[in-house]
Amino acid sequence: MAKRILIVDDSASVRQVSNMALTRAGYEVIEATDGQDALGKLAGKINLIISDVNMPRMDGISFLKAVKAHPNYKFTPVIMLTTEAGEDKKNEGRAAGAKAWIVKPFQPQTMLDAVAKLCLA
Amino acid sequence: MTDTALPTFIAESRELLAEMEVALLECEQGNAGPEAVNAIFRAAHTIKGSSGLFGLDGIVAFTHVVESVLDRVRAAALPMDRALAAILLECRDHIERLVGVVADGKADDGDLIAAGERLLQKLNMHTGGSSASAANTDVVATAAYAAAPGERWHISVMFHTEVLRNGMDPLSFIRYLSTLGEITHLQLNTERLPSPEDFDAEACYLGFEIELASQEGRQRIEGAFEFVREDCTLQIRSKAQAAYEATAGREAETRDARSARDIKSADNRSLRVDGDKLDKLIDLIGELVTAGAATTITARKAGLSELNESTLRLARLVEEVRDQALKLRMVQIGPTFSRFQRVVRDVAREIGKEIRLEIGGAETELDKTLIESITDPLTHLVRNAIDHGIETADVRRARGKGAEGVVRLEAYHDSGSVVIEVADDGGGLKRERILAKAIERGLITDGSSLTDSQVFALIFEPGFSTAEQVTNLSGRGVGMDVVKRNVNALRGTVELDSKEGEGTTVRIRLPLTLAIIDGFLVGVGGSSFVIPLELVEECVELGDEHRSTDGEQRYINLRGAVLPFIRLREMFAIRSTAARRESIVVIRCAGQRFGIVVDELLGELQTVIKPLSRLFSRIRGIGGSTILGTGQLALILDVPSLLDLCLSSSQAPVAPRIALAD
Repeated sequence: MAKRILIVDDSASVRQVSNMALTRAGYEVIEATDGQDALGKLAGKINLIISDVNMPRMDGISFLKAVKAHPNYKFTPVIMLTTEAGEDKKNEGRAAGAKAWIVKPFQPQTMLDAVAKLCLA
Repeated sequence: MTDTALPTFIAESRELLAEMEVALLECEQGNAGPEAVNAIFRAAHTIKGSSGLFGLDGIVAFTHVVESVLDRVRAAALPMDRALAAILLECRDHIERLVGVVADGKADDGDLIAAGERLLQKLNMHTGGSSASAANTDVVATAAYAAAPGERWHISVMFHTEVLRNGMDPLSFIRYLSTLGEITHLQLNTERLPSPEDFDAEACYLGFEIELASQEGRQRIEGAFEFVREDCTLQIRSKAQAAYEATAGREAETRDARSARDIKSADNRSLRVDGDKLDKLIDLIGELVTAGAATTITARKAGLSELNESTLRLARLVEEVRDQALKLRMVQIGPTFSRFQRVVRDVAREIGKEIRLEIGGAETELDKTLIESITDPLTHLVRNAIDHGIETADVRRARGKGAEGVVRLEAYHDSGSVVIEVADDGGGLKRERILAKAIERGLITDGSSLTDSQVFALIFEPGFSTAEQVTNLSGRGVGMDVVKRNVNALRGTVELDSKEGEGTTVRIRLPLTLAIIDGFLVGVGGSSFVIPLELVEECVELGDEHRSTDGEQRYINLRGAVLPFIRLREMFAIRSTAARRESIVVIRCAGQRFGIVVDELLGELQTVIKPLSRLFSRIRGIGGSTILGTGQLALILDVPSLLDLCLSSSQAPVAPRIALAD
């Protein structure tokens, strides 16, 4: 059974490209446009969450905290997407328990690599 | 793979660039808060992020520098002043050009790259920062293939107790290792397992000793544990080399945590739909409205009250569906208005005037097609206001006005139509100069009897321009008549108000949508015509005394006012004798009244406009066609052009040839 990945990013193009890359690599992908949207999509099997930090309504850090507090998903690995300009966010994310980061801009292969480390297709 | 997503990227970037422009202009005017800087930063940031996905390194490199500067502004390390905003605007334009190149599918062009370099230099000079290098940001460093092929590695990893709670599964890293080479030996290290009573089910007590045969370098292998570096103790030894100590957790950044919430555009919950699909939907709903009307008529004829009731309910629903569907096409005019901030700034700077643009009613919605078509006329009007309307600062001071001129764009709804105003507080129109020019151009012979609004209307005549000197912006006399023609083509009208010394207001009145109109159905002979309902003021019977004149006298006395009229029968050469009774439909259009003589008044109806084919596009007096519920065809009258025909001095020979041929 394919691993299911939830990708949370407000940029449609990031979602689209990630989705295509991951789908090709044999994952099943669910998309969400921001933290709040993503919370609504936390259901069933989710093997990995990839979340942008900088998003409207609910940013990635708050979303991460919510995931960590969720009884069913607190063990789900989360990869945060950030930029090199977002070091302060990174510290904030660390404090919230973020371990895995991918720095934007990234190549699809970079994402696939990072995903493979946490959940091989 | 990324090709199919490229249009999304381009559309997204353009939207962000538009937001960026608005915010930068606010900054330049000095009335921007931190949320404007955040918006600019976020735009640059997102564009950089997505362009990296598409391998658009040129955009990434350029945007990266801009983003770094913006980050310093955000951190209050750099002030956002006028000069910086101006440079950033140029950078924004450059990004737009870069995106444009991608959109056109062209290769990078050398000039553009050189221009980018120059801009970055300018930016660096201003910010005093060292040139930030292009982004090299992939977290996974490219492997340095140090190890000899087939080298054997010994990996000793001890996971910390918290690793599971941090969302990391030790097994996944082992699995990943097996993609890098072959795991020849694996031994579980259980020395940290506590006694059963101390055992925490959510904690991890395990370690692994792994032998890996891999051609990958140390970096790649270490990279496998990238995400657990802080949660494990890791040793990787090459069997051939001496022991190598690699402790995890190298990064120790201690920067001040600072919260910066980005304000996002409000429409991020919206759905992007292809315009063609929407048009198709509107088209179908148009057909539905027509079919519904036919059903209602049939039901009424059948005289079955139950059938009547259900068709009425259906009609009401169809009407609601239609309204909702039309709303889908409605977009706010705000972004269009905001674009003029840039026009005003650039043009005012170019000609050395101080001008501010004020915007009102940005949330007013109108049909997207209309917005697209109205941009050009608006640009003309705004440029005119800047160029001819607003005086130079010296003149303004001498007249006791503020040195800074104001151009105001405003939109509002007014009884079923949308009004867009372009107003300036400049010198206003000079009646004498317009008259003199009109006489010189042979547009009129004597202006003494004309009212002010009639005089002002002259500037919409083709070939009219009173600018004392032709500037490169406007003043070539091809302005206002084009504006009027464009607006009329959208079934709209243009009016102009002006007070000498106080300013000028141009008012464009447009229908809410182009697809459907509320019409007034009239009949002449066997033909039906539709007049846009919002233009109909009243209907009066044509008295016998006017009927006998047979085209000689073309006006009546309507409660003491002169009302000129036209006869549709003559206009369109309808070969039938006049009906026993005729009526005049009184029309108010562009501030003037005139009458249209018809045989029958058939009442109101709502109807879908079918454009005429190009073959008929030059016919004056007709704006489109529609199919009535009965299946009959009706022509929709183009009232503004009828008004022109009615008022023009060459009205006497209203032979069909002349009336119809443009």
